[in-house]
Amino acid sequence: MSPTAAQLFLRNAAEKSADLMHREIIRRGMDSYDAAHLKGRARIKDWEAAREKCQEIKQEAITHLDRYLLQFEEKVTARGGHVFWAANSEEACAYVKNLALERGVKTAVKSKSMVTEEIHLGPVLEKAGIKVWETDFGEFIVQLREEGPYHIVTPCMHLKRDQIAALFREKLDPAVNSDDPAYLMTVARRILRQAFFSAEMGISGANFLVADAGAVAINTNEGNGRLCTSVPPIHVVVTGIEKVIPRLEDLAVLWPVLATSGTGQGITTYSTLVGGPRRTGEADGPQEFHVVLVDNGRSQLLADPEQREVLHCIRCGACLNICPVFRHIGGHTYGTTYPGPIGSVLTPHLAGINEFKHLSYASSLCGACSSVCPVKIDLHHHLLQNRRNATEAGATKPSERMIFKAWRRAMLHPWMYALGGWTMRKTLRLAYGLGLAGTALDPMRVWNRHRAPVPLPAQSFRARWRKGLNAN
Amino acid sequence: MPRTVSLFVPCFVDQLLPEVAVDTVKVLRRIGYTVDFPEDQTCCGQPAFNTGYWDEARPCAEHFVRVFRNAETIVCPSGSCATMVRKFYPDLLAASAIREEALAVAGRTFELSEFLVKIAGVIDVGASFPHTVTYHASCHGTRELGLREEPRQLLQQVKGLKLVEMARFDECCGFGGTFAAKFSDISAAMGNSKAESILATGAEFVTAIDPSCLLHVQGILGKRGAATRTIYLAGILAQEAA
Amino acid sequence: MQTEASSREQILARIRRGLRTAVLEPAPAKSVGVIFEPISNSLERFQQECVANLMECTLTADSAASAQQLAMILQSLPAGGIFVQDDPSLRRLIEAAAPARAVRWSSEGAPEESSQATVTLAEALIAQTGSILVTAACGGRGASVIAPCHIVYAKVGQLVPDLATALGRLSQQKILDHNSFACVISGSSRTADIEKILVQGAHGPRRLALILQATA
Repeated sequence: MSPTAAQLFLRNAAEKSADLMHREIIRRGMDSYDAAHLKGRARIKDWEAAREKCQEIKQEAITHLDRYLLQFEEKVTARGGHVFWAANSEEACAYVKNLALERGVKTAVKSKSMVTEEIHLGPVLEKAGIKVWETDFGEFIVQLREEGPYHIVTPCMHLKRDQIAALFREKLDPAVNSDDPAYLMTVARRILRQAFFSAEMGISGANFLVADAGAVAINTNEGNGRLCTSVPPIHVVVTGIEKVIPRLEDLAVLWPVLATSGTGQGITTYSTLVGGPRRTGEADGPQEFHVVLVDNGRSQLLADPEQREVLHCIRCGACLNICPVFRHIGGHTYGTTYPGPIGSVLTPHLAGINEFKHLSYASSLCGACSSVCPVKIDLHHHLLQNRRNATEAGATKPSERMIFKAWRRAMLHPWMYALGGWTMRKTLRLAYGLGLAGTALDPMRVWNRHRAPVPLPAQSFRARWRKGLNAN
Repeated sequence: MPRTVSLFVPCFVDQLLPEVAVDTVKVLRRIGYTVDFPEDQTCCGQPAFNTGYWDEARPCAEHFVRVFRNAETIVCPSGSCATMVRKFYPDLLAASAIREEALAVAGRTFELSEFLVKIAGVIDVGASFPHTVTYHASCHGTRELGLREEPRQLLQQVKGLKLVEMARFDECCGFGGTFAAKFSDISAAMGNSKAESILATGAEFVTAIDPSCLLHVQGILGKRGAATRTIYLAGILAQEAA
Repeated sequence: MQTEASSREQILARIRRGLRTAVLEPAPAKSVGVIFEPISNSLERFQQECVANLMECTLTADSAASAQQLAMILQSLPAGGIFVQDDPSLRRLIEAAAPARAVRWSSEGAPEESSQATVTLAEALIAQTGSILVTAACGGRGASVIAPCHIVYAKVGQLVPDLATALGRLSQQKILDHNSFACVISGSSRTADIEKILVQGAHGPRRLALILQATA
């Protein structure tokens, strides 16, 4: 029987947790981010005010989601663009595939879009005979390795340059003879440039959907998003419905905050706004413009008043960067499109609470994620709510339910609690006396596998209190 | 007439780390407080609550509220347990018959360093501890209760104590309650990273306001055969000059 | 457009149903003015940001000096065709700076893939972030991304202090109703995907050079 997602997670987490080289690579990457982020924060006079403003903008957008989506659709359609509402992955992929087949698309170039990963668009198009090129440098690299992105902003941060050089030598050009990052970029640029100029379709995501302007905001540093949306004759945007913001002016705060939280920059190098296909008189641009609005579980999350704010996420990656769990197990271990704290909170809603509920438990609830989220999503408390929801849905192990029922009885009766504690100490003392520590019979074997045994005091505090400590 | 505080002793402190509470009593008495220990207390309910078993945590929390209903001020030598009562009881007991009492009890519950600095108004408790010490900023105390300065203010007044900062001092140690058992490999990896940060300072001791963190870190340090020892904050503050 | 009983209607219905439960609103946030430090000297700030962004910014006194600057930049590039936004001021500038260069004008269509450089005007310059705002009217979309060198000819009078002002102008003048595209460009193309090491010149221009003329 194939392992469940939870079992796979435990196995991969154990492996990665012990992988000190992996930890070193990630730590270096995160240290670099921390330094850049701090510099970026210094450019914003009042960071807390910025967070509150971003939270307010997204709250307004989500609270009136239908209105803003309709406004966006009206403006885009008036300019000759097409808006398709996809209830789920299948509908979204079918739309893009059918469009591509109808137009005779042989090659598509794609800029980074987590939603396209979520709906598995790449494999659907490939199966239909369409070659899809990931053009974001990091995505291009993981595509060659046939793996998913490791991180939502920096897809190949788990790789060292010599690994990438070897990969290019094997998959692209045996003449690749250096692992210098600038050189490797030129190799990729040369190959991808051919793709940009021959592709019949450019596919992008959307960082924001601006309702009052009817425009899609796309942010990249490399310029690949620009080329995908300028050169091929068809431009398709695939986006979640929650990306909406009410006004163009909202970007005055959102763009700097996204860049600061994502990479420590003041603003992403190319902050683009696209409102439709090329207009008469413009020198170039796609003749066709399509926006695929993907629901795929988001409207259901909207209906949950406690967790609706999870839809405010602007996909900056800050919570991944600070999360100590992420730093030790890495992005692939999660086994989901979205890793890290936001992934752990979001995935049970988008992909099923039973299969992915383990992610909500794989956290110490340290709260670092909530403290950095630029739109003030209370991430760690949502993990706690997910745990409560799983219990209420009867989705927890019967043995665990029994343990907590017994625990509850003991805690309501002080004598039972005290006796339980005394018994535990005596049992452990006996077990250690018999040399059972670390063996399969060790009651504390989970603890003792990685840690020295806990101390066993002769008396509890309350016993000492009664025996004379109580004199003030 | 000396003021009285009621001691809320976390269950694992009561059973496994009694010296944490003994030292807490010592410090409170030294600065002139009478300490009361309501013996019917058991557990604040955090283990069940954090694992998602709110129906089991709720009666436990109600028991706590009844035990402490007449306490003027409640002091707890644990950031996470004080957080449970102060921050989570209002939601957990929102529909309870004793909701009003719960809110009142929650509002009167303080973590030890918080109580000393913000309520008693004391940062110098007359302690002496001539050793190098590094400080681990436990998550609940730091992020939920906002106690970024208070523990340091107390440590800075201890005679002979040299405070050295560790890198990533507010990164989680990896204990996380049942997380340490359910995901023990990740928990241990995080603990080892924390241990490395501690050992890099060369400090003789590491302290924190959460003894559960220190229990976990001591286990990790012990497994590594490291000489650095953990000591709960009150353990330092209880020490006087020889 | 999708039909009535389609996913579009279902999604909208689900959204409206979901939103019937109100959520506690956060307290109103402070205005944008408090979030960013107000900018007292736009030109100074813009020049500082250009340095940080790795964008070349050369201040020129008049159009003659601008033509000289353009000539110098073009001479430093390999031989080959360039793409220029078809605008009278640029026609004059090219005539003065590089009359012998093979030029493809934006009125002829998209830039050639092999263009050595593109030359365009800008809609505005933004001091806060050291950015150039271009629209489709500035020679089209490819003009600011296809060639390895993008040269922008602008005037100091086009400088606005911050993003809020620039975006406000885009809104008020309904610029996106007349242009299918706009872009705030803040430096040369780059990536840090390999070991977080900054590499200049990813897919877009490696070199972004602004000729900033003091007089109109």
